[in-house]
Amino acid sequence: MTILMDGMRLNAREGQTILDVAREHDIRIPTLCYHEKLKPIGSCRMCIVEVEGSSTPVAACTTAVSDGMIVRTHTPDLVELRRETLKLIFLKHPMNCAACEINGNCQLQDLAHEYDINHTDLHTYNIRPVEPEPGPYATPLIQYHPRRCILCGRCVQACVEITEVGAINFKGRGALARIAPVERMGSIKPECVSCGECMAVCPVNALTEALGKKRGKAWETRKVKTTCTYCGCGCQLELNAVGETVTAVTPVDGGVNRGALCSKGRFGYDFINHHERLKTPLIRENGTWREANWDEALDFVAKRLVDIRSESGPDAIGALASARCTNEENYLFQKFIRGVIGTNNVDHCARL
Amino acid sequence: MADIVFGIWDGQIVHNGKSELWAPKLAPLQDIAEYEPGNPIQAIMGWDGFFVFDPSVDLVDMARAYMEVVQRESCGKCVPCRMGTRVAVDLLTRIADGKGSEEDIHTLRKVARLVREGSMCELGHTGMNGVLYLLDHYEGVFRESITKGVRHPRRSYHTKVTAPCIEACPERLDIPAYIDYIRSGRYTDSLSIIQEKNPLASVCGRVCVRFCEFACRRGMLDDPVDIKHLKRFVSDVELEAAVKKQAKEVRIAPDAKRVAIVGAGPAGITAAYHLLRKGYRVEIFEAMDEPGGWAAFGIPDYRLPRQVLRNEAEVVLEMGGQIHYNQRLGKDFTLKDLRDRGFDAIFLAIGCQLGTSLGIPGEELQPKGYYPGVEFLKRVNRNEPIEMGSKVVVVGGGNVAMDCSRSSLRMGAKEVHLVYRRTKAEMPADKVEIHEAEEEGVHFHFLTNPTRLLVEDGRVVGMECIRMELGEPDKSGRRRPVPVEGSEFVIECDMVLPAIGQKMDVSCLGDPPVLKLSRWNTVEVNPDTLQTSLECVFAGGDCVSGPATLIEAMAAGFRVSHSIDQYLRFGRVELTEEERMSRVLRAVAAVDEDMVDRLGRGVQRIQIPTRTVEERVDDFEEVEMGWAPEDALLEADRCLRCYRILLVATEK
Repeated sequence: MTILMDGMRLNAREGQTILDVAREHDIRIPTLCYHEKLKPIGSCRMCIVEVEGSSTPVAACTTAVSDGMIVRTHTPDLVELRRETLKLIFLKHPMNCAACEINGNCQLQDLAHEYDINHTDLHTYNIRPVEPEPGPYATPLIQYHPRRCILCGRCVQACVEITEVGAINFKGRGALARIAPVERMGSIKPECVSCGECMAVCPVNALTEALGKKRGKAWETRKVKTTCTYCGCGCQLELNAVGETVTAVTPVDGGVNRGALCSKGRFGYDFINHHERLKTPLIRENGTWREANWDEALDFVAKRLVDIRSESGPDAIGALASARCTNEENYLFQKFIRGVIGTNNVDHCARL
Repeated sequence: MADIVFGIWDGQIVHNGKSELWAPKLAPLQDIAEYEPGNPIQAIMGWDGFFVFDPSVDLVDMARAYMEVVQRESCGKCVPCRMGTRVAVDLLTRIADGKGSEEDIHTLRKVARLVREGSMCELGHTGMNGVLYLLDHYEGVFRESITKGVRHPRRSYHTKVTAPCIEACPERLDIPAYIDYIRSGRYTDSLSIIQEKNPLASVCGRVCVRFCEFACRRGMLDDPVDIKHLKRFVSDVELEAAVKKQAKEVRIAPDAKRVAIVGAGPAGITAAYHLLRKGYRVEIFEAMDEPGGWAAFGIPDYRLPRQVLRNEAEVVLEMGGQIHYNQRLGKDFTLKDLRDRGFDAIFLAIGCQLGTSLGIPGEELQPKGYYPGVEFLKRVNRNEPIEMGSKVVVVGGGNVAMDCSRSSLRMGAKEVHLVYRRTKAEMPADKVEIHEAEEEGVHFHFLTNPTRLLVEDGRVVGMECIRMELGEPDKSGRRRPVPVEGSEFVIECDMVLPAIGQKMDVSCLGDPPVLKLSRWNTVEVNPDTLQTSLECVFAGGDCVSGPATLIEAMAAGFRVSHSIDQYLRFGRVELTEEERMSRVLRAVAAVDEDMVDRLGRGVQRIQIPTRTVEERVDDFEEVEMGWAPEDALLEADRCLRCYRILLVATEK
């Protein structure tokens, strides 16, 4: 099918939304609540467009295209509506961007810039301050900042769609609505698994790590793509570092995990810069540990294995593999123990 | 009769009670002069305008109050509605406190437009209309407040949040709310919304006639939201947990008042459920040996598996109620016995069990192969012996006729003919049912009426019919069928199942009946309170309305639980606030030329998967299968959330 967007005839397919088609053809429609990994939410109203035959604008992200549809994405009316909507967001969202870690890397800030929102704009409304009730978040690992929160609903949707838990939801009505842990669904209380998917999709830094609070400015952060070391899954992630200090873990598209992470992968990075972290192999001599290099340590282990095997036979040796290794590594390990050492005394720590 | 001083709806104006444009539509509004006895209505404000009956009403305060309801109901998800209505509340509060400025009116208009144009659902889309109209037509009042600093004291108003689907549902389930919970993947929350009122969610999710879907505004865009199957979806997913939850919540004091319910059908079960929740001791007396009433014996298993019904109906037992089976009114006990046993109130919900006869010669012989449709279905559902014929004729055009036809096929009939005196368009049966019966090979004979039963050796051997044609419209507006002379013909058959109506078994009420009956031989009740001619006896469901629908019976059960509660606590029964508001709402809806003029979310209606004809026609397993979650989510996303708010200002 074809649709007419901003005067251009574009090819579209059944099942696409207006936003899908626009993005495919590099027509920029501003979005805030839309996230590629989630089903369209349609709450921020930034992506509203005019469609011939519809009395009011519709959200491009939630409206399916139909053949011959005539769409306008940037009329003066739409720009005005988007601008007014942004102003309403800033009635609650603080404008002290300098205090925010994502300063310079924030979609809302970009839109405020694009639509020229400033403090004086907001005075005409002169409303009573909106202060949502404070309250705990679903996990102690994450801190919720209700004033920053623009209630786009990404976090709620991520919890349902990605983690399939549904531990958080909107609470309260109208301007006082906030994101809060779900207290009870019927007889079930959904338990947060602290995966942090909510935090990962938040566009405005309203969900931050409760422990590692200072994570550095966007422009001074170096991102290194790597593989998570916690288990054999091989999840891909990005270590964020300022200088030589790891300040955060952010998801990266692709990989077996398709961007999702668990609580360990996302939050368990402070060991990297920990002063007690083991950085070289240690060899115990006369009851005390001394640092060694890998060649020395491996030679030592090989020699001792050979010695023990010839003195006491292969069954004097037992081996335990780590869950941090991959399947293939675990396979090789047991092959080595059985085939080279010659014992079946081999197991894996996940059984313990 | 109240005169409308000024009103505007859909942009059309009424002035001093005169409006040639829609005078007949206006009549119901002019008829509801009083909100409750002795309390006249001063003004009404709604989703597309307002009406002023009494010029002394404080419009500024009313506008503020209306806006406060919108803000309170705003779900908080989309920006314009969440924050815009808050801005409007603050502006109106300033004006009402005498502290407003000229600029506030301008800002109010601007923000109202933003909320109307920019909001995600119909709450924001319509929530500002009333205020905008007030500003257009009574701007002077607002300006006067500003210039003279007039303070408007806060008054209280009657408000109601509703939607067309909610109002269409006899039980007024909060449909957009439970669909919204499905949309966000929260099935338990969704089911608990349904169970606020409806204890038989998975039954309704299978066999409800879905008044809601006919009122669904999505239907004006493409097809209505498949509300029925969404209900089935959540109830299938979450049922077990939810039944237990309901059971846990109930606390019944040992000295609580006692209510007897006669009949464990949909009305009886619903009444018991709500009375138990209110803390009464409830006992149900049921003539048969299992719960469900007509839902159990009249609806075949391929539409409603018995176990589904049992599971849900037995929630009454889990909540601490009792059901006495095999207790038939008029045979095993009488209403007076129940009084003597110490019940403080009685709810009669005995349904319509007897089939209406065709009134044609041959019927009086009661030949072999002749069963009233209801009797046939009851036997099929109870696995009682039936001498099945091979060629069956069913008479009638309602759902019972469909059930008889399709059950006959499943019982082994080679050929099933359905005879109906009007055309397909007039058939009262559910369109889906008609379609599925056609698929399964039922032969339909429209504009055909039976005239004689042909009987040989005490057996049915055929039915003589006559062709009909449609004549003048009758009172119901349907064209009355008239016979075409000389067009008689015979359908050879060995089984005839009349399914043209049902009636109440009046004999169970004694002779003469202890309760006053209507001229249709149903129990006469006060339509508002469902109280019968005996003060402590209430009645509802089919035995009052004549054969109707499951959801109407359940609504009666829900209604009667309020009546009995009020009767037992105060000795008198009044309309609830919800019912009073619904009355006003109906009058407003009469002038409302509703239309959907903006595109909706999501895709086309998702079809429910059914078993193929070959698979299903020989057994009584369910025809319709449930949705997979991803389909249910897609369907739920189609809901437009047509929430709308009505406010009524009264003198007191």
